[in-house]
Amino acid sequence: MSSSAHPVSRRAVLGAAALAPVAAFLAACSSPGSGSSGTASAKLTSQLNIYTWPDYFSKDDLAAYAKKYGVTPKISTYTDNNTLYTKLNSAAGAGYDIVVPSSSWIKQISDKGLLEELDHDRLNLKNLDQSLLNRNYDPGNKYSIPKDWGLLGVVYDPDATGGEIKTWQDFFDAGAKPNVSGRIRMTSAAEETVGPALWIQGKDWNTKKISDIEGTADFLTGFAKHVKTFSAFDANAMASGAIVMAQANQAYARNAILLNPKLKWVVPGPTSELWVDSFSIAKGAPDIDRAYQFLEYQLTPTVQLNETVYLGYPASLKGLKSKMPSNVKQADLIFGGPNVDLGKLTSFVVNPDTYPTFQDIQNKVQAAAGA
Amino acid sequence: MPVFCWGAAKGGRVRRNTGDHVLAAIPLAWLAVLFLVPLGFTLVYSFGTSGFGSVTLGFSLDNYAQALGPLYLETFLRTLAFAVGSSAACLVFAYPIAYAIARRSGRFKIVAFALILVPYLASLLIRVMSWQILLAQGGPLERMLRSIGLLHSPLTILDSIPAVVIGTIAVYLPIAVIALAVVLDRIPPEVIEAGHDLGASPSATFFTVILPLSRPGIATAALLTAVPMLGELVIPVLLGGNKGLFLAQAISAQYVQSQNYALGSAMVVLLVIAIAVIVALLVRLTRGFDATGGEPGRPERAKRVEG
Repeated sequence: MSSSAHPVSRRAVLGAAALAPVAAFLAACSSPGSGSSGTASAKLTSQLNIYTWPDYFSKDDLAAYAKKYGVTPKISTYTDNNTLYTKLNSAAGAGYDIVVPSSSWIKQISDKGLLEELDHDRLNLKNLDQSLLNRNYDPGNKYSIPKDWGLLGVVYDPDATGGEIKTWQDFFDAGAKPNVSGRIRMTSAAEETVGPALWIQGKDWNTKKISDIEGTADFLTGFAKHVKTFSAFDANAMASGAIVMAQANQAYARNAILLNPKLKWVVPGPTSELWVDSFSIAKGAPDIDRAYQFLEYQLTPTVQLNETVYLGYPASLKGLKSKMPSNVKQADLIFGGPNVDLGKLTSFVVNPDTYPTFQDIQNKVQAAAGA
Repeated sequence: MPVFCWGAAKGGRVRRNTGDHVLAAIPLAWLAVLFLVPLGFTLVYSFGTSGFGSVTLGFSLDNYAQALGPLYLETFLRTLAFAVGSSAACLVFAYPIAYAIARRSGRFKIVAFALILVPYLASLLIRVMSWQILLAQGGPLERMLRSIGLLHSPLTILDSIPAVVIGTIAVYLPIAVIALAVVLDRIPPEVIEAGHDLGASPSATFFTVILPLSRPGIATAALLTAVPMLGELVIPVLLGGNKGLFLAQAISAQYVQSQNYALGSAMVVLLVIAIAVIVALLVRLTRGFDATGGEPGRPERAKRVEG
């Protein structure tokens, strides 16, 4: 063998080369506290890192903030609360100042110690819609301030469904009709699929009884064959009639109705979801002072109004509905329509003991829909 | 060891110095850190117990029991059928294109190769979303089919398994074409001439000479398409309406939605084992095919076949 002529064999070099980075990697991982640093900087830095949903801040407002304070916020995005949770839970999640979790995940993320407790002396919450504060998902608003909110409802074509939809039972009944079956969009969020099936039985989706949750599986997998898609809401599909009935939030519904005015929107009874996307400060944020400065800016009435017009989702300021400019079409749809009572709505709180069961049912329903 | 023997047999002494070893070590180190180490973590996690977003290490086979349970086994078989079927369909479309490029394009061979690779300049997501637009109800395809009278009702193919298959074939076609074209290109024209001289018609020449000689290309193309198709996530979501659970969706749901890293890891390990088995089978099936692919200047290969 030619290798015996050399003092260092090829095998030895390759072996060492493979092991060295492995050893270094494992050493780095085993050192404790490889995540975010615990101390906040005393001085304002020139950076503000925001981790949020895509396109969730009006560009004009961000530019105005940058002009006023000289810092352009750096924005990274996620499309899923689970992604936010996973990222903050890992070493890669360090370095964010402001994050925007949905109400359903605030308890999970804060329980893991990933959010800073908010100092209410530094924030002015008096101008906010008080019915959005102190709700079940974050009592006392210890970790979050409402940014904007949305409802789970149904947007549908009344000609196809042959009548109005008023309750979730109506929704499921309409789904079986020949004009509607095969042209339904349901959401891919497990709690929004299982929730309605629990509500028609008068049960609470924050229940701790797994048997209640599992009890919806047969009903939902039976309904699955009527569903066309669980993908992102497509207003054009509703305009063209490819989809005639869809679970959606009020902003999506408004987009569809603006394209096709004969569509109708409803928040079905007996109850439905209120979700509140919220501002939170990540634990160990590099610039907490800048974060509070940004939050204060976001809570000013002009910004709140601009954000509502830009996003199509209502911000949290009191009395926003009456302040909407007249050129905004279907403005009351932004607020979910004329008869929305936030007191009748329920917010989901992700519970690690029950959430995997929700997701299992979602997987089964999606599998059954494709069969 | 075979590798060292190959070096020695290659017509004389081969000097391998430390420089060569270091050069070879770089991709190996990269592979070790970015592929083997994470795979190792996955293997370790698969035996653990899952918390919500965390894993307690230990030795438990519960995750494997769950991963081999009815829902996921069905999912795996469904994905396998999809991958094999789509790969076969892809090859059927790719073969004529590869043949045309390799043997019929004359002076334009390089241009043709380049054109086949042009789709890869755009990201996968954009290519799949373009299909989403093309196949939509009321979209370009429907209008075209209606105008030539082939369709009289709305096109509902989007958000169904056929749309997923169409999208998958379209996306993987360039890979299959390249793999086949490279092999077809290397069939020496003398062999085909010999076939004609011996009285074979063009179609007989194709089936008895060209097709068997292209088997290594077929095997490579099958491998390069079927294996990634087993892990396909984007296309079923965008073109299939996120329905009909495929393995990648199931695994992703475990990691991202259910935060069950242990079960997700077990599913990954089983998938890797399945792929290894398939690859081993394919390698075994196509062993010795190389010997039939004539290449000038490699006389010792021919000697091995006869010996």
